[in-house]
Amino acid sequence: MKKIILPILIGAIGVTFAIADSDKESNIYAKKTLTKQNAKLEPLYKKECSECHMAYQPEFLPKRSWKKMMATLSDHFGTDATIDKEDSKKILKYLSSNAADSKRVYGDFRKFLKSIPKDKTVMKISEIPYFKKEHREIPKKFIAQKEVKSFSNCKACHQKADSGDYSERDINIPNYGRWDD
Amino acid sequence: MKKIILVTVVPIFISAAPIDGFLQQLEAQAKKENLNFSGFSAKRGEQIFTSKHIGKRGKKISCTSCHTGDLKATGENIFTGKKIKPLSPKANPKRLQNLKKVKKWLRRNFKDVYKREGTAQEKGDVLLYILKN
Ligand code: HEC
Ligand code: HEC
Ligand code: HEC
Repeated sequence: MKKIILPILIGAIGVTFAIADSDKESNIYAKKTLTKQNAKLEPLYKKECSECHMAYQPEFLPKRSWKKMMATLSDHFGTDATIDKEDSKKILKYLSSNAADSKRVYGDFRKFLKSIPKDKTVMKISEIPYFKKEHREIPKKFIAQKEVKSFSNCKACHQKADSGDYSERDINIPNYGRWDD
Repeated sequence: MKKIILVTVVPIFISAAPIDGFLQQLEAQAKKENLNFSGFSAKRGEQIFTSKHIGKRGKKISCTSCHTGDLKATGENIFTGKKIKPLSPKANPKRLQNLKKVKKWLRRNFKDVYKREGTAQEKGDVLLYILKN
């Protein structure tokens, strides 16, 4: 008699997220696949850091920014976002190993990184010079309105922000509509 | 003959409400801190939940700023705009089930509203208020 035992492995093995869309001219989202480091820690990050806003892609900020952010959660943009010590360590590991300057990043992630002065530790993606440049044409009233509130609310305009897709065809600004430039 | 055995891990759920155990712990602590302590009060809890204080950001804020005055209603994080499901376990059975989560949010939220952690008595009062409404 033969027994075949199939253990079911739960856990992400080699999770990657593909960045769709390729813009011929600037090749913003090259058809490349970003490998996630420490993919098994991703669910913890996504759970703990999406309670008040979406879980931002770690590739948007350099390591030094994540380090400072995780060390200052008791005053996180004016709110207390403290996390259990063990979880906090794991999240920092996930964030710093996937940070923009920890691995090869492409497209906008790379442009964002390159625009940050070396001697600055930015705490907001929305304060990165290249971010500001990309968003400078949007009238203020569409940001201040209650459906958006601030640039931190990426998902209000970028409908697929959760999956790391910020391509123009999926932008829909509340009370304005699609963005064509 | 071939047998295919599928091995899965089934989590075991403990049936007694974990929040009851937590309230007992808070009660023991409250007795130590306050000799006149005579049980938690949902009425005091309501006061804690609805009264306004100069919070972490230097502006008047209360628990109801995000959770609304109706525990069965959907609230909104005033800092980020993200919706918050109702706090009352009667409207949202997932509430007050996970103690780690309850402790984490009481710590954070008291800091935001009261600029300090809640005492054992305050936490018990406010939890009782949430449980009853
Ligand atoms: C208790 C609520 C809360 C939790 C939990 C929380 N944040 Fe935030 N976060 C905020 C607030 C409030 C802001 C500022 C939003 C604004 O200015 O509109 C913010 C902003 C941010 C920003 C800047 C967004 C931008 O504009 O570029 C980053 C990055 C960020 N958070 C990362 C994290 C990480 C990482 C975690 C998990 C460790 C986390 N947050 C958990 C409340 C929270
Ligand atoms: C008020 C709406 C709005 C919000 C909020 C917003 N964006 Fe945008 N974003 C836009 C618009 C519109 C464009 C296109 C700008 C253009 O091409 O002129 C854009 C462009 C981009 C691009 C470049 C896309 C490309 O095609 O190359 C990236 C990346 C991006 N946003 C990221 C973010 C992130 C990250 C956040 C949150 C921290 C965010 N955005 C918040 C409206 C928004
Ligand atoms: C700045 C907004 C904000 C304020 C002010 C606030 N809360 Fe919360 N609270 C939240 C958010 C966000 C969550 C978690 C959301 C979720 O799990 O859906 C939460 C969760 C909770 C939970 C955990 C419930 C559970 O088991 O899931 C309790 C208890 C709680 N809050 C009580 C309070 C009390 C008491 C106060 C006043 C001292 C307060 N809150 C003030 C935003 C706030």
